[in-house]
Formats: sequence, C-alpha cells, structure tokens
Amino acid sequence: MTLDIQNVSKTFSGPRQGFFGRGESFSALDGVSLSIKKGASFGLVGESGSGKTTLTRCVLRLETLSAGSILYDGADIHKLTPLQMRRLRSRLQIVFQDPYASLDPRMTVHDIVAEPLVIHSDVVNLNAHQRTERVLELLLQVGLRSEHLFRYPHEFSGGQRQRIGIARALAVRPEFLILDEPTSALDVSVQADVLNLLHRLQQELGLTYFFISHDLGVIRYICDDVAVIYRGKLVEQGPVADIFDNPQSDYTRMLLNAMPDPDPDLSPFRKVEVG
Amino acid sequence: MTLLDIKNLNLAMTSYEGETQILHGIDLKIERGEIWGMVGETGSGKSLTGLSVSRLIPSPPGRYLAGSIEFQGRDVLKATDKDMRALRGRHIGMIFQDPTTNLNPAFRIGTQLVDVALHAGSADPSVLGLVKGASRSELKKAARRVAVDMLDKVGIPKATERIDDYPHQFSGGMRQRVLIAMAMIGKPDLLIADEPTTALDVSVQAQILRLIHDLVQERNIGVLLITHNLGVVAQVSSHVAVMYRGRILEAGPVGDVLKRPKNSYTQALLNSVPTTHTKRGELKGLNGLVPEVSA
Repeated sequence: MTLDIQNVSKTFSGPRQGFFGRGESFSALDGVSLSIKKGASFGLVGESGSGKTTLTRCVLRLETLSAGSILYDGADIHKLTPLQMRRLRSRLQIVFQDPYASLDPRMTVHDIVAEPLVIHSDVVNLNAHQRTERVLELLLQVGLRSEHLFRYPHEFSGGQRQRIGIARALAVRPEFLILDEPTSALDVSVQADVLNLLHRLQQELGLTYFFISHDLGVIRYICDDVAVIYRGKLVEQGPVADIFDNPQSDYTRMLLNAMPDPDPDLSPFRKVEVG
Repeated sequence: MTLLDIKNLNLAMTSYEGETQILHGIDLKIERGEIWGMVGETGSGKSLTGLSVSRLIPSPPGRYLAGSIEFQGRDVLKATDKDMRALRGRHIGMIFQDPTTNLNPAFRIGTQLVDVALHAGSADPSVLGLVKGASRSELKKAARRVAVDMLDKVGIPKATERIDDYPHQFSGGMRQRVLIAMAMIGKPDLLIADEPTTALDVSVQAQILRLIHDLVQERNIGVLLITHNLGVVAQVSSHVAVMYRGRILEAGPVGDVLKRPKNSYTQALLNSVPTTHTKRGELKGLNGLVPEVSA
C-alpha cells in the first residue's frame, strides 16, 4: 500500500461577516477514504467543484486537514517535520492541468526541468554538468529533442508543454505522480499521445499514478481503479471495469450517460427521432 | 433558399511575420433544420470560419482573398456595416466558448439581455411581439418580458427573480444558458455556437446539447456547431465537416462521416478518442500524420 487516505475532511471557513462573525463554512471534502496500491493507476472522477483538486492539495500538504489522516508508506504526511516533508516531496510529484500557466515564461526548458534537481540537491546531489545531462535524458524520455533544451515555453505547443511538465515532475525520480487533469487543455489527437507517453513511462519506471480527471473515457483508458467524487463525498469506488459496466450509484450512472459517445448511433437525440 | 452558403472562402491574416493564408477554399452549405458540427484541431480554422459568417474578423489583419458567404442569398462579405449590425443578433445568433468572459460582470443579467432584445426590436418590433411604431416605453417593457421568457426557456429557475442578478451569482452552466438566451432572443435563423460546452461539466454539457437540439426542432433554425469534441458532434449534429489546416477534408451526414470515414485523417482523429473497447497502450495519436489534401 503506497498512499492511504483515511476519512479525510476539509472545511473552509466562510467569509468574514462584521468584526467577529463568520459566514457559513464550506465542506470541500467529507470523510474521503481511499487507498492506492504501488504501481497502480488510480483515477478520481468528479465535476468541477467536487473537491478533486482540494484532495490533491491535501495529499501534497498544501492544505491542512480538518479531520482524518493521509499515510504515505505508513507515515502520516501531515505529521512530518518540514525537513521530512521536503524529502517526501522528492518522491511525490505533480503534473498540473494547464500547461500554459504552469511553466515560467522567463525560464528556459533546461532551467524549468533542472529546478527540482536544484531544490532537492540533498537527495539527488548532481553537479551542474550532471544536471544538464539528466535534463537531456528526461527530454528524450518524454519525446522531446535535445535542440529544445534552451528554448522558452512560448516556443512550444500545448502538447509539448505538457511533456515539459511531465519531464519536470520526473526529474527527481519520484515513485508517485499526481496528474491533475493533465490532458484536459489538449486536443484529442495530442491527448492520445500524452496518454500513451504516461502509459509507457509507467511501465518503464514503475510509477504509481493518482489521475484526476472529469473525462470518464480517459480514466477508463488509463486507470486500474477509480473513485467517483460528488460534492466532497466519494460516491463509489472500485476496479474500472466494475464501475463503468455496472455502476451502483445514480450519480455515476448519470455521469456515464452524459458522456458523449463518438458513435452517432448512440445519440439520445437520434433515438428519439427514430422511435 | 439555402440558409447559409459558403463558397470557396479564402482568408489570410497578417502578423509580424507577414501574411499567412488561414482558410483555403472552404465550401459549406447549411439548410434550415440542420446542425452542422465542425471539428478539427486547434488552429485548423474552425473559429475563423464561424467568425467570418457574422463578419467579425477585423480587416486588417484579416483579408478575404476570394470566395463568398451567402446568408439567405445575400453576400455577407459585401454587405455594409449597417446591414451587418442588423443581421447580427437578429438573424445570426452567436454563442462563444467562455461564458465568464462574454458577460459583463458590472451589469445585471437583465440589463444585458434587454440590451440585445432592444437592439433586435428596434430593427424589427415583431421580435418583441409589437407592431411598427411602438413607443420607447412599450419597447422596453416588451424587451424585459421577452428576456424573462427566454431565461425561463433555457431552464433558469425563477427567471423573474434571477434576471436582476449579476453574472457572478450564476454558475458556469447557467452563464452559458444566459449566453444561449442572449443569442436566441432575436429569433435568429442561424445559430453559430463556437465551442459552447468546452468549459462545462459533462452533465451540464448534456443539458446544453439537449437545449440546442430542442431549439432546432422547435424553430427550424440552422446551427453551425464548432467543437473539437467528436463525441459532442456525434451526439447532436446531423452533419459534420472535418477541418485540417484551413481546409475541409471531409463533410457529410454525421452517420456517414463518423461511421465510414473516407479520409484517413478523419479515421485517425476517431482513433485518438479512447472508447470503452480501447485497451491501454492501443490509443493512436496523430504524431506526424499528414492527411491527404485534395487540391
């Protein structure tokens, strides 16, 4: 067992009202429990505002928890000392949703990908020359070329930028990757390439994925297990095939029905017209 | 008469690097009652085709090299600015992708809807259910009534109360409904929807698609639905045009094009969407694929 989320709740306090008053607080996560096995791909599906991103922020300890605990390899993430947490962050990395916003426009690809190597120099311990070598190796691994090394983010397409984001996440050789909607900003054709890249990297490097998405098709394609989240609560979780072929909750069924299928014969509108 | 007839449309845009041709001979015919899905990757010219129909591309940087866009028999590209203003909102409705940036945050929803209704009503009072020569106050009253009716129609609960809310009090899906209401208020004959559901959740997307479908059934309008989501096109469109780098590679009834694609690019695009049967690692991207382009 790699990541074990136990009964996690997160409440955001409401807006200030008057001098001492507080508006109604908002419960973003309510008793969420799930566990992710080493080497597996775990998908989390939900609509906007359902708490997906809050959960990833809790896992990275970018938010404090209101209740519950998150264990990584048996250690409670929220009870680690700052130094231990920094060490852990080199094993836990994240790829963000928006490849246009998550890369610093004033840094070259080399500096972007090398930055985690500098930050975690106590763990990876490379000199400047070795860092450049490592960055080159990473670029090739994610399907970019060596001549891209000293270019700036604006010179790349959305798909290429997401590859840079993936290279940066892989730089410190993490075991666990959080993928927060990594393909939602990309064209379908580019999405296919990035998904295949993620699949290949997982096989080569033995990574564990925590894959957040609102696209059920993508989750079904890339994940082994899936959890459905609705308004901060897990509605359902289990192996992908079970949840998709035999959903137990009404919400999951509704989500599956709402997913537009690229087969025109399965359109609900056309069925009406024929029948 | 054909509702919209785009013939051999060639558009070039000027940038720092000089003039680049963006659209290479687009041909497209839309009849009433048809929903045309236009699919393609980023930069393929889908949106510029849509914008051209209501002539919203400023010139410069845009320049039409050749072609015509006939809307109900009149060439939009040759119309005067005054004619275009009468056409936009009244005969051609538009919905844009991002509902947050297309509503003014400083004005109430009602104010913005009434503005559109008054604009349509001043050209043709029958839109507001009035006869010609109606007074200003009658127009205003009728415009507000139509605005409430329209909000109600697109499924905003308690429309009479919510019409005085500001855009930030609405969720993304509701804002998109407001934009659809705004586009439909002038009872247009043609609706151009540029990625109307891209910013929305699947469940809300399904509702919006149903709304567009019902509007077509009810009012017999034509729709140009621009999207990169093949699923959306397959669900709601009657016809589809596949674009690549400013050209339409394949067009026709949705069942023919998506079920039996003739063009290898269409096939590849379809293969890049994960379906229930796709096994992991089998998904095919378009890396390096150059489609056949018939000149």
